[in-house]
Amino acid sequence: MTLLEIFDPKAAPKPIGIDLGTTHSLVACVQDDRPYTISDCDSEVLLPSVVAYGPKGAVDVGRHAKARASEHPRETILSVKRFMGRGADDPETARMGPYTFVARQPGDANVVRFDVGDRVVTPVEVSAEILRVLKRLAEDELRVVGGAVITVPAYFDDAQRQATKDAGKLAGLEVLRLLNEPTAAALAYGLEKKQNGTFAVYDLGGGTFDVTILLLDDGVFQVKSTGGDSALGGDDMDHALADLIFERAGWGDAKKTDPRVVRLVLDAARAIKHGLTTSLEVVAEITPGTSVTITRAELDKLIAPLLERTGVASRRALKDAGLTAAELDGVILVGGSTRVPAVRAYVQKLFGREPLVDIDPDQVVALGAALQANLLAGEATHDILLLDVIPLSLGIEVGGGVVDKILPRNTTTPTGARATYTTQEDRQTGFEIHVVQGERELAADCRSLARFTLKGIPPMPAGMAKLEVTFRVDADGLLTVHAREETTGVEQTVSVKPSYGLDDEAVERMLMDALDHGETDLKARRLAENRVEAGRIVQATRKAVEKDAELLATGDRERIDAAIDALETATGGDDPGRIHHLIEELDLASKEFATRRMNRAIARAIEGRKVLDVEGGLRSHEEH
Amino acid sequence: MDPFATLGLERTYKLDLAAAEKTHRELARALHPDRYASSGASERREALTKAVEVNEAWRVVRDPIRRAEALFTLAGILVGDTNEPKPAMALLTDMMEQRETLALARAKRDAPAVAALVAEMKQREATVQAGLATAFEQAQGEKARLIPLVVRLGELRYYRRFLEEASATLDDLETHS
Repeated sequence: MTLLEIFDPKAAPKPIGIDLGTTHSLVACVQDDRPYTISDCDSEVLLPSVVAYGPKGAVDVGRHAKARASEHPRETILSVKRFMGRGADDPETARMGPYTFVARQPGDANVVRFDVGDRVVTPVEVSAEILRVLKRLAEDELRVVGGAVITVPAYFDDAQRQATKDAGKLAGLEVLRLLNEPTAAALAYGLEKKQNGTFAVYDLGGGTFDVTILLLDDGVFQVKSTGGDSALGGDDMDHALADLIFERAGWGDAKKTDPRVVRLVLDAARAIKHGLTTSLEVVAEITPGTSVTITRAELDKLIAPLLERTGVASRRALKDAGLTAAELDGVILVGGSTRVPAVRAYVQKLFGREPLVDIDPDQVVALGAALQANLLAGEATHDILLLDVIPLSLGIEVGGGVVDKILPRNTTTPTGARATYTTQEDRQTGFEIHVVQGERELAADCRSLARFTLKGIPPMPAGMAKLEVTFRVDADGLLTVHAREETTGVEQTVSVKPSYGLDDEAVERMLMDALDHGETDLKARRLAENRVEAGRIVQATRKAVEKDAELLATGDRERIDAAIDALETATGGDDPGRIHHLIEELDLASKEFATRRMNRAIARAIEGRKVLDVEGGLRSHEEH
Repeated sequence: MDPFATLGLERTYKLDLAAAEKTHRELARALHPDRYASSGASERREALTKAVEVNEAWRVVRDPIRRAEALFTLAGILVGDTNEPKPAMALLTDMMEQRETLALARAKRDAPAVAALVAEMKQREATVQAGLATAFEQAQGEKARLIPLVVRLGELRYYRRFLEEASATLDDLETHS
């Protein structure tokens, strides 16, 4: 399949929202301002997040893959999300599981690698397979898919976010934005209920837990605080149950290392957990002749410590937001694991109120993502804005291995900060910069994000050099770091080599490998992408010219119109380079107009909208 | 960068934070990258730079310590660990005693005692902040009159560190009670 075949200039590309979940994934879109989830040919909305690798490059995703898991446990990857952005030696790889991991070779990127028989795959590639299926599903429904918003747990760190974005890119999606799952859920609820106030979103999924406190005020969804655990979810309940099953069945360590038995027991554990949602006792036959009985009370006891961990995170989030549970206006439940009766009871006790479950907790995130995608594509009619935060503090390792926090957790994104450091030794010509993420005092206890050295500083006495480190976090929650030495004017752009994950080149290489015909497909893809971008920019520019015509200077309109004409002509052709060039030309032609619009928006925001709207209205009357 | 100007605020220590928050939200609304998702590259970049600036300014202004730091910096006074005068001996001794009391309460798992320490320290913090507000107002941006105030910044830092530790202790005690 290539994009050229499905590209139809007359069909408008439609934005989509994707919930890339631990247990299952789904895709949604918006029609007439209403979001809905897209189902497959069997009318199923939830695609199991399972990828099975067969012989000769065959790949199966979803229910078929899941069905293969018990027969081919090593070649069938479940819950890949738990491995996203993790290092090769991450504790996650040491948990009970049926997989074979490949040890890291010198020079390899520090990522998890699964041995799936005739090849080795990374979590990014596995996730991309899931995303490709969702994209195809959306294309069947919408014909042409525009950009995508992909959700991530709010508590995902930088490496996990980057890995998700890479997976989207690898699947051939234009990733408009990474959106935090609880924020997506709040968006879906907020637009449904049209109610202002402060809400808590309790999101317990298959593999991750998030709690987010946010304020809904006049279309602004402002996240006040967020907390969680990116390795805590239904999976952990299954594992706890699996241990109990092994014990009940009287099976020893030999069975625990047999991939088939492990897969079987984990599946049984999940089935028992589901059964206990409605029943008080479940008898399950694990293998012919081996049955176990588990009661709901036993499950409740098993998961109590997990729930306690969610309680700690929730209390901290409330505290960070400067609120008590009683001050909330509502609690929203998200994630399949919130179906477990003990979870609901716990949340009710924790927040002292009945949680909201009006929207299907499995679908609400994808619905919110679709709404956000629609907003970003400029197709929504409401005036909505999401203001999100960074979940974990970002800092730099300084003397003694201590972390200097540069951006504290719960800072609104996009954001930036600068910090100045100096040399410790005489004639020191290089600075080693270690970027970490986390709340602990010592760098060793935080997540290492990147390490790099700024070289070429002229020798100076200790304390003379001035190194300025700049952090910037974009609206996806992704960090870039920049360092320069000030006193000597030595300025270096430092490319950050991620401690975990893949660099851009590796992603490009995978992209080439994934496409059947390499270069040709890549060109077709660039063409399609540039056409979509051109269309969007032309539309946005026209809208702006129409709306703020009074801010056009003499000659602006002619210049902009000419640039639009040229770009539209190029879009009909097949040269992606030319389209790109003319996009830049249009950008240039409208630059000053854009700056004037932005400055006016700032002035209005500062001086209070209403007053200026009146004045602005008067002024433009006088001028015309 | 002048965070006060970025948010259209008066350059003072005593601020109407609720009003400032509203202004910040309106600015964030006007400049957020989501609004420029369909725009050309340079417009997107410009909006992003301004959005970052606005959020950075709000982070500074809302925080009593960073706000004071910004006011000193704008008056041409260097702040930060090595630039500030050493804290008074009395403060150091006092903080040491407070820490010992905290350690004792923690060892006894006495949550109410920790809560009382937190409340007392918050009171002291508020007193220093109120004092600073008045002093900043009287100094009217004059460097010579501002310099003697820098030492109070150190005090606030000590209080904050203590409060962070005490709140963490309190969390711990309440969670495992």
